[in-house]
Parts: sequence; structure tokens; C-alpha cells
Amino acid sequence: MKNLDLTHYQDFFKTYTELRIQENRSTRISFVKGHNVENSRSSNSGVSARAYSRGSWGFASTPELNDDAVKSVIQSATQNALFLDARENKGRGPLPSVPWNSENDFSTKKPRLGQKDLFEFAKELDDHIERIYPELASRVVTINTLDMEKTLVTSDGSFSHSMIPRAYVLVLMSVIKDGEPIEFYRPYGGFGQFEDVLTSPDDLFDELEQQYQDLVKKSEGIYPDAGVATCVLDAELAGILAHEAIGHTVEADMVLGGSVAGDKIGKQVASPLITLVDFANSFDGKLCPVPVFVDDEGTKAEDAVIIEEGILKNYLHNKESAVSFGVSPKGNARAFQFSDEPLIRMRNTAILPGKDRLEDMIASIDDGYYLVKPGNGQADSTSEFMFAITLGYRIKDGKITKAIKDTTISGIAFDVLQTATMVSENTHWTSSGMCGKKQPIPVGMGGPAIKCKINIGGR
Amino acid sequence: MEDVRNIAKNGLNSLLKAGAYKAQCRSTLVDKHEMNLELSEITLLRTTFDTSVSLMAIRDHKKGSSSINKSDVASLEQAAQEVLAIADASAPDEAYDIAERQPPKEFSAGHDSPDLDKMHLRIREFLGEIESRYPQVRIMQSYVDFTHQKECFVNSNGVDFVSSNGVYHCVFVFSSKEGDKVSSFNYTGCSLRDLENRFLDSAFLDTLLTQSVEHIYAKPLQGKFVGDVIITPQCFQDVLYFLTESLSDSALIGGTSIYKDKLHSQVASPILTIHSRPVSDEICDGYFVTRDGYAAQNSTVIDDGILNTFFLSLYGSKKTGLKRSVNDGEAFVIEPGKTHFDDMVKSVEKGVLLTRFSGGTPADSGDFSGVAKNSYLIENGKISYPITEAMISGNMADLLMDVTAVSSERTDFGFSILPYVAASGVTVSGK
Repeated sequence: MKNLDLTHYQDFFKTYTELRIQENRSTRISFVKGHNVENSRSSNSGVSARAYSRGSWGFASTPELNDDAVKSVIQSATQNALFLDARENKGRGPLPSVPWNSENDFSTKKPRLGQKDLFEFAKELDDHIERIYPELASRVVTINTLDMEKTLVTSDGSFSHSMIPRAYVLVLMSVIKDGEPIEFYRPYGGFGQFEDVLTSPDDLFDELEQQYQDLVKKSEGIYPDAGVATCVLDAELAGILAHEAIGHTVEADMVLGGSVAGDKIGKQVASPLITLVDFANSFDGKLCPVPVFVDDEGTKAEDAVIIEEGILKNYLHNKESAVSFGVSPKGNARAFQFSDEPLIRMRNTAILPGKDRLEDMIASIDDGYYLVKPGNGQADSTSEFMFAITLGYRIKDGKITKAIKDTTISGIAFDVLQTATMVSENTHWTSSGMCGKKQPIPVGMGGPAIKCKINIGGR
Repeated sequence: MEDVRNIAKNGLNSLLKAGAYKAQCRSTLVDKHEMNLELSEITLLRTTFDTSVSLMAIRDHKKGSSSINKSDVASLEQAAQEVLAIADASAPDEAYDIAERQPPKEFSAGHDSPDLDKMHLRIREFLGEIESRYPQVRIMQSYVDFTHQKECFVNSNGVDFVSSNGVYHCVFVFSSKEGDKVSSFNYTGCSLRDLENRFLDSAFLDTLLTQSVEHIYAKPLQGKFVGDVIITPQCFQDVLYFLTESLSDSALIGGTSIYKDKLHSQVASPILTIHSRPVSDEICDGYFVTRDGYAAQNSTVIDDGILNTFFLSLYGSKKTGLKRSVNDGEAFVIEPGKTHFDDMVKSVEKGVLLTRFSGGTPADSGDFSGVAKNSYLIENGKISYPITEAMISGNMADLLMDVTAVSSERTDFGFSILPYVAASGVTVSGK
């Protein structure tokens, strides 16, 4: 990323202003049934400024990265704020300030791999799948990397530089069963550049074998019975439960927009077994999948405890909403591209582990489901969430029986979490997807297995 | 237009200079002015300018591509070198190709710049109407923007297309609250050529706001049944998304599309006709040039229930041996039916008016399940009450075959024009 010393431009700030240079670099290589359908790199970089005037915001951005461009976006953002201020006349006071300086560059220390190396990695994986699993009707192998590098300076004294990478290999396997395609998709990878996350195709062979075996079971799967059932949500699902069911509902802009969580601070919203935290950058002494140290408003990032032993404690804020609620922001304002304004976003949202063993949780159910792998999900202002289940099993008399077909589960989050009776001792983190809210953004999600009652789609 | 053409030509020349046998470049200049809305306020005015240059080269039947958002010659030359390195590192495929020469053409639609004062006045008018007519409604994360886009597509076969389009986009997200009762959020969006009409008359908005208020007191659906579903124009976009994915390169090359052997066969009820009209005057937010460099044409995708075309690119066409599509899909226009919406409701014994579907991405087989949001129970030919905690499941392909009625009323979203569609055989389950 082109390096400009942004501190030189602070004299041009006429009002509260954030100035950010950002570059998102991505690689995408994809094989569909052995055919290389994509082999590309992209880079998107530029500078943006956001200015605040008495409750009105102005924003401007340009892909140019030079002295004139920086001065121009500061001027345009300020003019935009004044344009709105003149018409809206909100007359609000200054924003809270929690300035912080930080430098966090997670670039690999290893020699960088070229596009050819990544291409060969994907090809080798694809060749392996074709050779070992000839029964597959189709397969898709995709390498997807994203490096987000940002430099930020704010008029209230924050300065930060960060390079937050993630790297994934996404594998989709399909079989034809009774004339119908059945597919199963798994992401492999996580936080870090490709060299640090995925060292050799061989390392994935065991997991690919598991994926294939799961697909075979799923192809023999049955439709679940539609309706409310007692389920064990595997640890891989807990993160999306934390994110969709609760996390979105407690974002302060959702709360101001009427979210049902707006009346529940200090109230029991979940079983006392449930504690839910939006971690800024680390959990249990280790980095989270999407570490944030300073957010895009320049606020020092700190953990936000959302639910503590079943009691709703806090919402997630940017500077402006923190003023409305009379609290301190904890660094949840994040933007995806240089040309995006910061929005209230989750970072690494997780339910904390309990004391139960997964085997005991399954054994405790006479008739229900063990739901293992998630797909996409969605939240709601009512806290009625849904997310897709791409792998699950029927439980009969405490034992796992037949796999089920793709389905969707839903529920009113604050009701569902009241039904949680067992929480497992392990924690699983994931970060392969993007959270969508005007802009996409990488988020981390984590948690343990949970036994609860939930509505399941079926026939 | 010369600025965007010069960038594309510089990109193409850089690729040829770097050793491409065949090459293409698409340059795009986007100028956006956006106002954001939260509650009763306009919160932010955002002006962004961005450049995008997509480069693709083929050498020895190997392909590489890259995109950057810089347009100076040095950046283009560096990107071109990278594209050739990517191509050299890839595997050869005889199907990689570029569009053949077509007559050069310039396309233009819409205004070049926004009327910001009018945009502000229309938003204020909308917020005022919300306050007076729908005091329970809360607007969140919404925006109105004007996007002016100039684009040039050139390739080494002599393709040279330049286009310019200026469109207003509106996205409104909202829920309703009274006391401690909250409705599910809903949203709609549309593209507009100008700001002559109030927003409330656009994109189904007035109806959705009325429904949002009614849903403050939605009741959980009890029990389970198999019945009819009337899908609103807004919600039918989800069905079209499944159809688009199933007819596209990836599903057909991978062989997982349930429609792979269905060209010119019945795939939907005979009362359903779906067009893709990216260059029609009735669509203000279409496109002029396909992703692989052909002048886009309108097509009829499903004609009286018969599948007429896939959405195959040049590459997909060569891989499958099937005909290339004349467009990239989208810009859907569904022929109006003969049934008034009120009569559609009267014909339903038990079913759901499906206003928003919050569900998992449908499986390749078409199986879907999810929550019927902002929806209503229909009983004995009447809309009974707004429901919550209701799941629906079925199969998209079956649903298209089981369409029983298409409404005579349609909603113009600017990017598509859609009616209500009724179908049978959907499983509905509540508490």
C-alpha cells in the first residue's frame, strides 16, 4: 500500500474528521469439475475522509493516493457535512473520544507464494478429490484470500496501521442421488495469509475424507419433521447463533430502529448458562479470527460483554450511538472498503463454553436433532433469527441415527436461549463468511455446543 | 466518454505489449452521491468517485485476469504484466476466448449529475409522510443515491463499446414499534430515472409500510399444513435468483443444474412467461454490454412455461456445447397474468401471503426452507392475520411448475417488473 504520512494533513481538518487510507487485496482461483473458471487478483485502494458537523456527517473518497487527493477528500467531506448541517440543523454536541495508537501488521514472515503456487495448490487438491472420490458428480475448489490494510488518523488524536489477512480454501462436493444433486460445502483456513494458514494440500486430505463421508451420509438423508424440536447445536453453529440471533439485535442502530432488545437491558434474556461477548481481538490468550485493535472511528477496541449469565448487559456502539445511550464506545465502528463509511459491526462474537460433554448432551435427547454445520443466516429486529443447516442428524433414544437433508432452523432468540439446558466445554471459531449490512465485512464467530429447543424446517 | 475509453485502450495496449495473444479490458468510472437515513434524520452525505479496470489476457490457451482501481499508464502496465504472469501459471483450456468483433457503439441513458437539493427534498418529504401516516415506523440503514457510471469495453478483436448511465437508487429498511411490541424488519429498493414522483409511490413501499405496522401485533402461526402461497413481487426476486443460479455457467459446467437437460422443455406453469430485458426502455437500471463483451439483447427466458435459454457466457457455451446467452440475465420482466390480486386471495382455501423469505440458500435440487417473514395467513379466501414464527419449505422447481395464478398488477422496481405469483404445495409449519 502506498504510504502517505496522514498526520501531515491534520492541519486541514476544520471539524471532527477521520482520514483513512485503505487497500483490500484479494486472490481468487476456482476450479469447477477440473475446469479453471477463475484465476484472478484484485486490488482496491484509495483514501477517504469523514467529517462531523453538529450531528451531520459528510464523507468523500477517491482512488487516487497523492497529496492533492487527500486534501480534496478532506475538503469534500467537510463541505458535505456542512451541506447537511445547513439543512438538517440538528445542533448536536461533540462526539466522545477514546483515542488510541496502534500498529498491527499480520503479514506473513515467510516468503510469499505467487499466483502460480496458489494455482498449483488448488489444482493438486482438485486432482486429489477427482482421483480419490470418482463417485462425485461435481466438485468446486476455490482459493479465496483477502488482505485488509488500513492507516487511520483522527482529529481527536488516534493513529493506527493494521494489516488483517484471511485465507481460505472452499471445497464443494456433489453427488447425484435419485436424479437430484446433493452438495456439501466446507471452508478450510482462517486468520492469516495463505502461507501461514494452508501449508500443503496434504494437510487437508483427512478433512476432505470426512467431508466426503458426511456427504455420503447426507445423500441418504431424510427430511426432518417440520416443527419445534429439541436439538443439540454443534459448536460450529454456536457462533452463527451468537452472531445472528443476538449480535445483530443488540447493534445500537438496530436498537434505535426498534429492536426488541431495546427494552431488555438488565433483564434475563437467556438461560443463566449463557454468557455472550463481542471480543475485540483475543480470547483465552489467543488472537480471534478478525482481531480489531482500533476501529475506523479511532476508538480503542475493547471487549463488549453483551449477555452475562443470561442478563442483557450492553449494546454495540459507534461514537454517535454511545452518546445517545450515555456509554463509552468500545470500537465497533468498521468499514469494508476505503470508500465505505464506518458502520456498527460485530467483531468476534462468541458464547462462552460451559461444562457439559457433547456425548452427554446427545445422549440426553430421546427424539430430536444434532445439527452440525451451518450455512447462511439472517437476523431480525424481533430477534427471530434463521440459519441454514447443511449437515445434521436425527437423534433417537440418545443415539445419532440418519442424516438429514439441507434445512433451516429458526426461533425467537431470547426465547430459544431461555431453553438452553446444556452447554459444552469446547469452543469452535469460524470466520469464512461475510456479514452483510449495507457493506459486507469479515467477522469472527465462536462458541460451544448448546442443547435447546428450536423450530426446524422440513416436510 | 474519451476519458473512460482512453483508460480501456491503455489497458488493452498494455496487455498486448506484455505479450497477450488475445486480450480484453473493461474500464468503469463511477461517481456516486448518497444520502443516508436513520430514524427521522438524514445522517450522512457521501460522495465517492471510483475507478475500476478489469484486465484479461489469453496466451497459449492460458488465461489470467486482474482488476485494479487505478488508471494511470504505469499502474495499467504493471497490472498487465501480472495478468500475463497469472496466465502463464495457469492450465491451458481451448474454451478460453474473447468476443468476436461487433460494430463499435456508444450507449447512453439517464442524467449525468444528481439534483442534490431535490434528493434532499424528496427524502424530507418521505420522512414527513412517515411521521404523519406511519408514526410507528422506524427507518434504519436506508439510503438514496445517484450513481453515474461510464464504462468502456474493448478487446483485441476490435470490440469497442462505451456506455453511460445515470440512475437514482433507493433502499429503505424499516420496522415498526408500539410500546414494547416490535414488527419484523422489512425492506425494499428500486432504481429511478428521475425524482419526479414521491418515494412512497415506488417499489411497493406504501403497501410494505402498512404491513409493517400491522405486523406489530403479528401472532405465532400454530400447527402445520400443506397449502398455497401467494408470493409478493418483492419476494419473487428470491425465486428468480435461484433460477438465475441454476441456468448459469457454474451449475451447467459442473453438471449440477436441475435444468441441464430441460432446454425447450416445460419447467414452469404455462401461465408463466419471464423475460430478461436489460436494454428495454421499461428497465432504467439494465446494462448495455455483457460480462464477456457482447452488446446485450433482450430475451425470453421462460415462454409459457417453456425454458427458452440458459445464461451461458462465451466460456460456458464452449464448455457445454450449448448456445451462448444473448445477455447475463437479470432485468427480469414477468408478463402480467389475468387474475386480480384480490381474486388470487379469494381462491386460496388455506395458505400464506409470502412477503419476505428469510431462508437458507436453496439446494441445487431446489429444496428450500426458511421463515415466512412479514407474511399473512390466508384462510377461506381471506387474509386472516399477520403471522410470525412460521416456516415454509418446498422445492423451487416444483413451485414454478405449480404456479396457479399470476396477477394482473405488477410492481416496477426499475431493475425488474414483477407481479404476484400464486403456487400450491408448500409446507407451512408453526409452533
